[in-house]
Amino acid sequence: MLTDEKQPVLRIRNLNIWYDDKQLLRDLSFEVQQKQVTAFIGPANSGKSTLVRCINRLNDFTPNFRSTGEILFKGIHLHEATDPTSLRKQIGMVFRKPTLFRCSIYENVAYGARISGVNQSEHLDTIVETNLQKTGLWAEVENILEETPEQLATGQQQRLCIARALAVEPEVLIFDEPCGELDPIETVKIETLVRDLAGDYTLIFATNKRRQAARVSDVAGFLYSGELVEFGATERLFTNPQDDRTEQYVTGRLG
Amino acid sequence: MNSMSTRAERRQEFVLHSTSFIIFGIAIIPILNALKKTEATHIQVVSPNALSILLNDLYIVLSVGLLAILLGIVCAFYLEEWLPKTNWGRRWIESHVAILTGIPSVLYGILAISIFLSYAGTLKVIDDVPSAQNTEVIPFQRHTTLFLGEVLIFILMVMPVTIKTTQEALRSVVTPVREAAYALGASQWQVLMRHVVPIAFIRILAGGCRAMARAFATAALLIGTYIWHYTTETDGMSNRFLLFLGAALVLSVCSSTLVEIYNSIYNSNSA
Repeated sequence: MLTDEKQPVLRIRNLNIWYDDKQLLRDLSFEVQQKQVTAFIGPANSGKSTLVRCINRLNDFTPNFRSTGEILFKGIHLHEATDPTSLRKQIGMVFRKPTLFRCSIYENVAYGARISGVNQSEHLDTIVETNLQKTGLWAEVENILEETPEQLATGQQQRLCIARALAVEPEVLIFDEPCGELDPIETVKIETLVRDLAGDYTLIFATNKRRQAARVSDVAGFLYSGELVEFGATERLFTNPQDDRTEQYVTGRLG
Repeated sequence: MNSMSTRAERRQEFVLHSTSFIIFGIAIIPILNALKKTEATHIQVVSPNALSILLNDLYIVLSVGLLAILLGIVCAFYLEEWLPKTNWGRRWIESHVAILTGIPSVLYGILAISIFLSYAGTLKVIDDVPSAQNTEVIPFQRHTTLFLGEVLIFILMVMPVTIKTTQEALRSVVTPVREAAYALGASQWQVLMRHVVPIAFIRILAGGCRAMARAFATAALLIGTYIWHYTTETDGMSNRFLLFLGAALVLSVCSSTLVEIYNSIYNSNSA
């Protein structure tokens, strides 16, 4: 369907979001290019999570939530395109806290395939093995596939969450502060993994650690109290920021 | 803006609660009326088998209780999973459920007794079978109005408790689990069947036990009254007392066992 490589996967125009009477995002416009890592940085409560949750319509469940403006996914308006269920199969998400289901490691990874109606065990075996290998977890859990994931370390659980999200075969994968609860060693593993995945998927990465954004992303945006202050190539944003607030934030004087 | 919305909410709450109090006020009138009526009516009594009353009542409690629990669970799922929190219908039902669960089961028992007595007064009751040749004999157990009254009371008693406990059970399934499933492309139905129901199941079951316990507690009161009522003239005083005590004891044991089951499930599952 995509013939033009330059066409952006996501195009967001004049996005405004309110919760009750509080405006969380103000007039956001940007584009996300294919097979790049787009990071959003900003202090707490700057609207990073709200923004990324909008992209796969998880905010639909929040009451008193309304939005204006448009989000185009591959040129189609997000709220008109299809039902959110099939949309979320194309736009996956990894959360801050690894939340695994109460079943075996194998079943956790096979979840996405199972809800889509795949039941042949050979097919499922392949899906589980490939996706665990992609996240570098296969060697660690190969012998405990039938056990519950509770015994794994938090970092391993987070990588299992990533494997589970990858098994749905999404085009876009959203990371909402994936390293928020991890130690430095596991954080490095996740960051390396994100860099490795960038060749195959379009990644959106929300974080409040500015150095992490500098390490993993190709394009970065700085959000400050619901406003997209600056958006551009990561290197330029960190070395030559155009806005005063961006400069203050990346140098550590703000937030 | 914020203070205005809370004021509007408060006004809505006030309207909700005052309507419920008015409804209950109206409900008290027939009860008082019924009690007054029975005072004036002389009831002739026949002596049905105490055991048959007990079994009959247990049968009603179990069947109606199960029906009401099922209805309550379905209702709670609809309220919690489909209606938004801001929906006025949901708020109306929830505030009434809160009031109905707060009423002690003894009061329901009194309501049931008053209905029973008001209709028992109009029953054609006979002393002995030979004299009944010219009249139609309606056995107590098959008296439709009485039966429906009892059914209504049990539904009124069991359903709110079930709705409340089921809603609490559904809320115990935390948002991250639901969101994780939704983010993987699961539909609402799949999330419900694969995550919410398996996690909340044991708590829903426990809630059902608690609701049944309430039904049994009221049934004890009712059966006591029936036995007292129907054994006035044929049985001796001590016999009546023993029957009353026996029935009450059986049902209280049932009730407290169910409460115990509920507590143990809830405590073991709360961690």
